[in-house]
Amino acid sequence: MNVALKTFSHEGEKGSWTVFPGLCKGCGLCVEKCPKDCLKWSDQLGVYGTPTIQPDMDQCIACGICANVCPDCAITVEKNK
Amino acid sequence: MSTLPQMPKSWRLESKPHKFCPGCGHGLVLKALGEAIDELGIQDKVAFGCDIGCSLLAWDFFNVDTVQTHHGRTTPVMTGVKRANPDVICIAYMGDGGGYAIGSQHLVNAAARNEKITAILVNNCNYAMTGGQMAPTTLPGMKTETTPYGRDVEQSGYPTQGPEMVAAITRDGAYVARGTIANLKQLKSYLKKALENQLAGNGFSFVEALASCPTNWRTNAKDTWAFVEQEMPKYFKVGELKNPAEKGDE
Ligand SMILES: Cc1ncc(C[n+]2csc(CCOP(=O)(O)OP(=O)(O)O)c2C)c(N)n1
Ligand code: SF4
Ligand code: SF4
Ligand code: SF4
Ligand SMILES: [Mg+2]
Repeated sequence: MNVALKTFSHEGEKGSWTVFPGLCKGCGLCVEKCPKDCLKWSDQLGVYGTPTIQPDMDQCIACGICANVCPDCAITVEKNK
Repeated sequence: MSTLPQMPKSWRLESKPHKFCPGCGHGLVLKALGEAIDELGIQDKVAFGCDIGCSLLAWDFFNVDTVQTHHGRTTPVMTGVKRANPDVICIAYMGDGGGYAIGSQHLVNAAARNEKITAILVNNCNYAMTGGQMAPTTLPGMKTETTPYGRDVEQSGYPTQGPEMVAAITRDGAYVARGTIANLKQLKSYLKKALENQLAGNGFSFVEALASCPTNWRTNAKDTWAFVEQEMPKYFKVGELKNPAEKGDE
């Protein structure tokens, strides 16, 4: 589980967005569901050695849909208060 | 900024990442179930039974007492646990092959007896664990390992409509619904009501969940969502079929 605690965080105007590469299996379900189409494949690798994902924080509205549809709970989104 | 992933409290963190394939619907159904268990505050009272099939990959998924049974036998095993100890909240978790083919007699008779357990069945239109053969739920014309030209309804009949069948054979007090991973909020509310129905001691509770199997469907993320959102509901109608909490239902 230690590997899962490694994080890649991104800050934006609307909130902060974090992926746990040790949980991300690179399925792409989140990419398809992002309403802003702002998730792209990353150079960083996930738990199965496949690319994980990263957001364009200029576009991200911190809606949390990507986190909701991730079967592995690999994404955490926190909206700015 | 928290450094812990936002998982349901009832999930067992040590066993994550879980054993399901990338994009597997089981993960989403069990996420909705985990949140339902959390919101009802019943984690210390739940016994979780999983079947043979990919559902067995959940044998260490939750921080709750868990048992894994022979194929199709999860429903009677959880019925036995419930009868021996009515205070335990019993969840029988299975696949469509497990519930509608090899274990169909168990599902039918538990429903007919109105056993006070919660059965959750993951409908992914195939026998996933064994490599994607036709299941009772395979859609007409759908290609699988054993229907390379598509399911021929003349030869293999039409897909089983599980919740419709369970709704027809259960008596007052049963809760029956079909949810989908395409609407997780609704799926969670169905699972919650199915657990509340057991807590109230009303009768059999059954939720089928339409779910993805990208590995055997051989779909990318886009086609996976398209199949779940557009193809499956054509044959499997999403909604509640029986809810004792709503007056005038019967
Ligand atoms: C009595 C028995 N018959 C057949 C099998 C072989 N078998 C193992 S998993 C499986 C398919 C399970 O499919 P399903 O219940 O739909 O679950 P899924 O893997 O799709 O989630 C089969 C036929 C078995 N283990 N036991
Ligand atoms: S939080 Fe919303 S907008 Fe931002 S990446 Fe996720 S789905 Fe897209
Ligand atoms: S849904 Fe989850 S596991 Fe799949 S690519 Fe997105 S973050 Fe990774
Ligand atoms: S084979 Fe299908 S049902 Fe089984 S874990 Fe993989 S995606 Fe999920
Ligand atoms: Mg199946």
